[in-house]
Amino acid sequence: MRDLCATAVDAAVTAGATYVDARAVIVRHQSVTTKNGRVDGLTDSESEGIGVRVLVGGAWGFACDRRLDAEGARAAAVRAYEFARATGTVSRRALAPVEAQTATYRTPLERDPFEVSIADKVAHCLLADDALKGADVVLRQAMVRARREHKVFLSSDGVEVEQELIECGGGIDCAAARDGVFQLRSFPSAHVGSSEQGGWEVVERLGLAREAPRVAEQAAALLRAPVCPERVTTLVVDGDQAALQVHESVGHPTELDRIYGTEASYAGTSFLKPGDLGSLRYGSEQMNVTADPTTAGGLGTFAFDDEGVPARRQPVVERGVLTGFLTSRETAARIGTGAGGSMRAESWNRMPLVRMTNLHLEPDEGSLDDLLADVDDGVYMETNKSWSIDDKRLNFQFGTQIAWEIKKGKLGRMLRDATYTGITPEFWGRLDAVAGRDAWRLYGLTNCGKGQPGQGAHVSHGAVPARFRDVHVGVSA
Amino acid sequence: MTAAEAARAALAAADCEAEAVAHAERSGLVRFAGSEVHQPTLIDNLEVTLRVVDDRRVGVATTNRVDADGLAAVAARARAAAANAPVDPDFPGLAEPAPVPEVEGLDERTAGLGPDDQARLASEAIAAADLPVYGFFTSAVSELAVASSTGVDVSQRATDAVALVVAADETGSGYAEATAWQADEIDPGAVAREAAEKANRTRNAEAVEPGSYAAVLEPYALAELLQYFAFDSLGGLGLLEERSYLSGRIGTTVFDEQITLSDDPLNPNGLPRAFDFEGVPKRRVELVSSGVARGVVWDRATANRSRNGVQTTGHAPPAGEGELGPMATALSLTGGDAESTDELAERIGDGLYITRLHYLGVVDPREGVVTGTTRDGTFLVRDGKIAGPLVNLRFTVSVPEVLRDVHGLTRDVSLVNASQFYGPRYVYGARVPALATSRFHITGIGGAPGI
Repeated sequence: MRDLCATAVDAAVTAGATYVDARAVIVRHQSVTTKNGRVDGLTDSESEGIGVRVLVGGAWGFACDRRLDAEGARAAAVRAYEFARATGTVSRRALAPVEAQTATYRTPLERDPFEVSIADKVAHCLLADDALKGADVVLRQAMVRARREHKVFLSSDGVEVEQELIECGGGIDCAAARDGVFQLRSFPSAHVGSSEQGGWEVVERLGLAREAPRVAEQAAALLRAPVCPERVTTLVVDGDQAALQVHESVGHPTELDRIYGTEASYAGTSFLKPGDLGSLRYGSEQMNVTADPTTAGGLGTFAFDDEGVPARRQPVVERGVLTGFLTSRETAARIGTGAGGSMRAESWNRMPLVRMTNLHLEPDEGSLDDLLADVDDGVYMETNKSWSIDDKRLNFQFGTQIAWEIKKGKLGRMLRDATYTGITPEFWGRLDAVAGRDAWRLYGLTNCGKGQPGQGAHVSHGAVPARFRDVHVGVSA
Repeated sequence: MTAAEAARAALAAADCEAEAVAHAERSGLVRFAGSEVHQPTLIDNLEVTLRVVDDRRVGVATTNRVDADGLAAVAARARAAAANAPVDPDFPGLAEPAPVPEVEGLDERTAGLGPDDQARLASEAIAAADLPVYGFFTSAVSELAVASSTGVDVSQRATDAVALVVAADETGSGYAEATAWQADEIDPGAVAREAAEKANRTRNAEAVEPGSYAAVLEPYALAELLQYFAFDSLGGLGLLEERSYLSGRIGTTVFDEQITLSDDPLNPNGLPRAFDFEGVPKRRVELVSSGVARGVVWDRATANRSRNGVQTTGHAPPAGEGELGPMATALSLTGGDAESTDELAERIGDGLYITRLHYLGVVDPREGVVTGTTRDGTFLVRDGKIAGPLVNLRFTVSVPEVLRDVHGLTRDVSLVNASQFYGPRYVYGARVPALATSRFHITGIGGAPGI
């Protein structure tokens, strides 16, 4: 694969490209899903190819070829070069400097998930599936997945990197229905569970079958729970919901390509401006957010990003002040600070974009119970169910699968169909408590979309329960 | 190698009870921002999904290595998956061959567009607007083929083209899009001009109080709202799992009598498709007729599980991507008697005019509740006229309520792209008119138009 990348880079440079990078990628993905005691899906997919990105003057070009041979490498390079020339661009495009180096990296793991038999994976799911049985349950679902991405990156700036990233995860969902009411509970997260980089040990740690009876009981109990009433009150969210709140209202708005408008036609832009760096008050003093592609187990963990920039931890929000953007080499050069390091491509057939890596809400102190103890009257919400945020990442609305009243520091009645809404900096300004390190968990999302053509990214968020005052909850149609 | 050849070769490599689905894509997408191209992407791929059946045990494997070694390997992985799977008592068997309809959807001129052409057509959009533009032009030729040990052997080549433009500066933004299977039907310059004209009317936007409003929804907005409703409510799996709004409501009046909704994959004015991912012939499916719920779309698996005699309607999703079950991917809402959106504004008197929506989320599938925001062209309607611009608005609506009291629909129907081009290029869209509703629930205020 290294030689194929070199062939592609040579071909594009010879054609006249001023910068070239090539990624040869082999991806394998395996998933098992059971539903109501039967195997609903059992898939094992692989995809491979080479993607070549070139700069010709000020114009980018990208082309790819599924053939991992010299002919495919040259063809992708030549097509990328010709595409760049055809599109033309008037601006000069500078790239932040990168150090020439050669490196390798592999996800540390205990047990290769592809060495675990499919039969064992099916059995693992069926065990959890069976444990979801209960009154009013209409859907039991269990899922495990594994992904291995082997990629070689080589650029005309002298970076050669070979990486093998392996991730694994799973989850359970349980739906209950009665009298026209439908409710879903999931563990550890909704939307295809949660994953981490690592081996089969990640799935075993989840304890899906152990958690299943509680999940089923809560799904059924929600059918009889009152709807979360609309009001302005104190809101406490669990780590899962805090993770998505960080994702949507901190992660995406701090992507510098969005701030420069290059995502305007799809996912949108940002309320942030380049000049806000170092001065904009994003939230309260309790708000600290860090981007860290070196986090053990993170789905956004790597040694080098997809334009050859080494991984490094960087603060994004410190004590409530915006102090960092997520950048590429191009956007870093444009703003005049940083080195890039957040460029990621879904696979060999997509151009890298500025993406989140692992973006964490840093812990403070105390437990969830400590956060609740200081609430006389409020709502505690757990496990994301729905999400939406406007194109500038200001006005958001989230729903959770389950909620409880908080009365005099304790959880009270269960509530269903809980939602809350807010405006990003106002909402984060109302953050008055963040739980401590013991409550910190890593949540892995595998459905982050961006780009045209669309690309999915896998990102992680370390998060803890958090408390916000004066939040509008209970929004309904 | 064509997709049809790859499907047959994969089937031969499996040499057992099996079904091979091959998909080939050759596409170019020229994405621009600030009137400059920044993400030009050429994709050329061919992948095969092999579903092997071993005594009602089913395994699926996919590859894009379509040489002999690659196909032998994918066959081995599919067989291994099947061998490790328990017997699926609900497996209906592989589809039997059936004649597929003759459909349009292939335009050789579009298939022949190369990177130079795609770049030129994008530049036409860039040059046409008097504002900075953000968007893309894309075109593709793709081929879907299904071959099975039961004798299915079908393939379809299809083309598609889309021009999409957000025209925006610091104080205004507008949107337009055009989709067709014939690129000659699309004028990227006209799309850009429509977006810019809209953007220039959005300056100095004001807010409105949250509450329930009458509203005119342009086809862009209505198509996306219907698509999100369809995810849970218009497919057989949603019905079986009781998350569909139509659960228990088939045969009853659910919408205004002006609402007639179908899935119409054969329509030559849409993106015609002849068969689904099992090779089953597609057909028009009546979903709602004059406000009465008539049914949903099915594939063979869900039809079999329903145990009430329903048959597949030719809506099998790709193997391994069927989490939500069969999907209505060619929604078609019958037009009404209004000559224009201006006439719809006259009919509502006072309310909102909404061009498009952004980042929708399903809040409550069973009740069809969806949230999102408006974007790139929201206006106040006052005294029957489209009046001043509004900031982006958050809405939380029950789609059935939006469709329950309808002031009218336009006679003209537009094809609206619903694809974001994730994964393989399975392009789909909805054909819808503009619609005026008496109820659209605004629950929050967002930012002003502009980049």
